[in-house]
Amino acid sequence: MAISSATKAATDALEVNRAPVSVGAQEVHKWLQSFTWDFDKNRTKYSTKYHMANDTKEQFKLIAKEYARMESVKDERQFGSLQDVLTRVDAANRVHPKWNESMKVISNFLEVGEYNAIAATGMLWDSATAPEQKNGYLGQVLDEIRHTNQCGYINYYFAKQGQDAAGHNDARRTRAIGPLWKGMKRVFSDGFISGDAVECSINLQLVGEACFTNPLIVAVTEWASANGDEMTPTVFLSIETDELRHMANGYQTVVSIANDEAASKYLNTDLNNAFWTQQKYFTPVLGMMFEYGSHFKVEPWVKTWNRWVYEDWGGIWIGRLGKYGVESPASLRDAKKDAYWAHHDLFMIAYALWPTGFFRLTLPTAEEAEWYEANYPGWYDMYGKVYEEWRARGCEDPNSGFLPLQWFIENNHPIYIDRVSQVPFCPSYSKGASTLRVLELNGKKHSFSDQWGERMWLSEPERYECQNIFEQYEGRELSEVIAEGHGVRSDGFTLIAQPHTSKDGRLWTLDDIKKIGCVFADPLKSL
Amino acid sequence: MAKIHDNPNRTAWVKKIAGLTTLSAGHALLKEFRTKHLNVFKTDWSLELDGQWIECKIEEKVALLKRAEFNDDKFMNNCTCGANAQEVADKAIAEITACTDMYKAERIHIDFRLACKPPVMPVNVFLDTDRQLGTKLMELRNTDYYALPLEELRKVRGVNVITLQ
Repeated sequence: MAISSATKAATDALEVNRAPVSVGAQEVHKWLQSFTWDFDKNRTKYSTKYHMANDTKEQFKLIAKEYARMESVKDERQFGSLQDVLTRVDAANRVHPKWNESMKVISNFLEVGEYNAIAATGMLWDSATAPEQKNGYLGQVLDEIRHTNQCGYINYYFAKQGQDAAGHNDARRTRAIGPLWKGMKRVFSDGFISGDAVECSINLQLVGEACFTNPLIVAVTEWASANGDEMTPTVFLSIETDELRHMANGYQTVVSIANDEAASKYLNTDLNNAFWTQQKYFTPVLGMMFEYGSHFKVEPWVKTWNRWVYEDWGGIWIGRLGKYGVESPASLRDAKKDAYWAHHDLFMIAYALWPTGFFRLTLPTAEEAEWYEANYPGWYDMYGKVYEEWRARGCEDPNSGFLPLQWFIENNHPIYIDRVSQVPFCPSYSKGASTLRVLELNGKKHSFSDQWGERMWLSEPERYECQNIFEQYEGRELSEVIAEGHGVRSDGFTLIAQPHTSKDGRLWTLDDIKKIGCVFADPLKSL
Repeated sequence: MAKIHDNPNRTAWVKKIAGLTTLSAGHALLKEFRTKHLNVFKTDWSLELDGQWIECKIEEKVALLKRAEFNDDKFMNNCTCGANAQEVADKAIAEITACTDMYKAERIHIDFRLACKPPVMPVNVFLDTDRQLGTKLMELRNTDYYALPLEELRKVRGVNVITLQ
C-alpha cells in the first residue's frame, strides 16, 4: 500500500534517529539548565530587597512531568486507603473524641497555611532568576495546591464518616468570633504573602517549614496514632514527603542571596522577625492542641519543641546556613522560655472563651492531671486547682450558669490580646514569659506581650490594625455575638463549641449563654 | 441592640451615599472620609468598627459615577479629581526616591494610598506606583532595624506609655 511522502519522511527519520524511550537524570538536569524563560521583565508585586543569583541550583531536579507522576501515585495510595480500608473498618469513629476536636483546628488552620503558601511560592517563582531555582518553586506551588486539597479532604472525611461533624464541615463561618483565627491569619496569611518575597520565603520556608513542620506535621501523626486516628497519619505523612523539597527551597533561597550586599543589611533582621512571628503563635497553639486535645499522651510538648525547634533548627539547620551569614535569631532565647508554660496559659484562656470557638474543649481528667504534674512540676498549683474549681462550679453543665470567663473577671485577671500576634494573654495569671505593655497612639490603646512584637508595631504600625474581639464586640452580649457570628449548629440554637466531649452530656444552646448575661468589655478602656 | 453588621451608623451613611449625584461630590466625600476615618494616624475613632465597610460603599458609588462621567481615555488615564494619573504617580515616586527618612517615606506612601486608592486613580497606574513606593519603604524600614532602643523608638513614634510590666 502506498504511503504519503510525509509518513515516509517520518519513518525514514525514525530509522536514523529513534525516539528516546527513557531520559536519564543527567539529561533532565541539562535540559532544565537550558530553559530560556524571559526573565527581564520578571518581578513579583513588591520587588524584593535582595538580588537572587541567576546560577542557583535546585536540589530535587524534578521536571513537572516526573513530579506529577510521583504525586499521583501518592494520591492514589492516600485516597485509596481512606476510602477503602479505613472507611470499612469505621476508623473515623474509633478516634478519641478529644482528638476529633483537635483535628477540627489543625486541619482547618493548616489548610489556610497551605493555601497562602501557593501564592508565597508563586511570588518566589516571580522573583527568582535561575531556571533551576524557579523549577524548585514550581514544584512547591503544585505541592501547596495538593496540600490545600488534602487538608480540606481530612475535614470532609471526618465530617462525613466520623463523629460530631460540626466544626469539621464549616469552620470558617466562625472566623469573626473565634480569637484563634486572627493569630492564625497573622502567621499563615500575612507572614507568608505580604511584602518582600524573600522575607515571605523566610517566614514560610526557612521558619514555617524548616522549623515548624516537624513539630506540626510529623508530631501530629504520632499524637493522632496514639489517639486512634488512622486518617491523619495517612494524609499528613503524604504531605510531609513534600516538605523536604520546601525546606530545600528555603535553603536555596538563602544561598541565592548570600553574595548580595542586601543580605548583610536585612537578612538576620528578617529572620528574627519571621521566627518570632511564627513561634509566637505556633509554640502555644501546637502545644495546646497536642497535650490538651488528646487523651493518650506522646511526649511533653516542651521536649518536642526543644528537640526540633531549639536544637535541630536553631542549632543545626541555622548553623549550616552560618557560612552564608545567617545567625540564630536573637528571639530564640525568649521563645525557649515560652515553650514550657505558654501552651498551658493559652489553654486556660481558650477554655474560658470556649463559646467563641468552632470545636469542643475538655478539662483534663484526674489521670491527665497527673501526667501534667509529672512533666511540668508546679502545674497543679497553677492550673489544676483552678480546673477543679471550674468543674465543681459546673462549667460543663448548661444548667450551672457558669462560664470560666467569669472566674477571670471575679478574680480581677483581665485577658488582653497582643496587637501584633493577636494571641490572647493574661499577665496577672500566667507562668509564661508574656508581660503587659500598653501604648497609646493618637487616643487609641494597644496591648503587647513582648518586646519583639512591640518593636514590629512601632516600626510598621499600619500593618497591625486588626481589631480584636474585645474591641469589636464591646458592650455586646455573648449569645448575640455568637448568633450573629454563625457559631451555632444547623438547628440554629445549639452552639458548635462545647465545654466537654461527653456523648451523654447536654449541649449548650444560645439560651444557656444568654441567661448568664456575659457582656464583652475591652480591658484597655479601664487602664 | 442593633446588629453588628446592620446598625444605625451604616444605615445613615448608606442614605448619605445614595444622595451623591456627581463625581466631584463623590471624590470629595471619599477623600474626606479616608483622611478622617481610615488614616493610620487618625485621631477620630468614632467609625473604627464600620469605617472600612462605609468606605467600600462610597467607593462603589464613586466607581459608578466615574463610569458615567468619564470617557474611555479619561477612565484609563485620569484620577476622579481630573488630574493626570501618571503625573500624580510620578510626583509621589520622585518624592520617595529623594527620601532617606523612613518616617517621611511612610507618610508619602500612606498619603498616596489615602489620596489615590482606586477608584480615585486607575488601577493600572495605582498598583505599579504602590509597588514602587512600598519597595522603597521596606528598604528604609529594614535598614538598621535595631539601631534605636525601644525607649527611643517609642519617643520617635510619639506614643504614650500607659503600662510597662
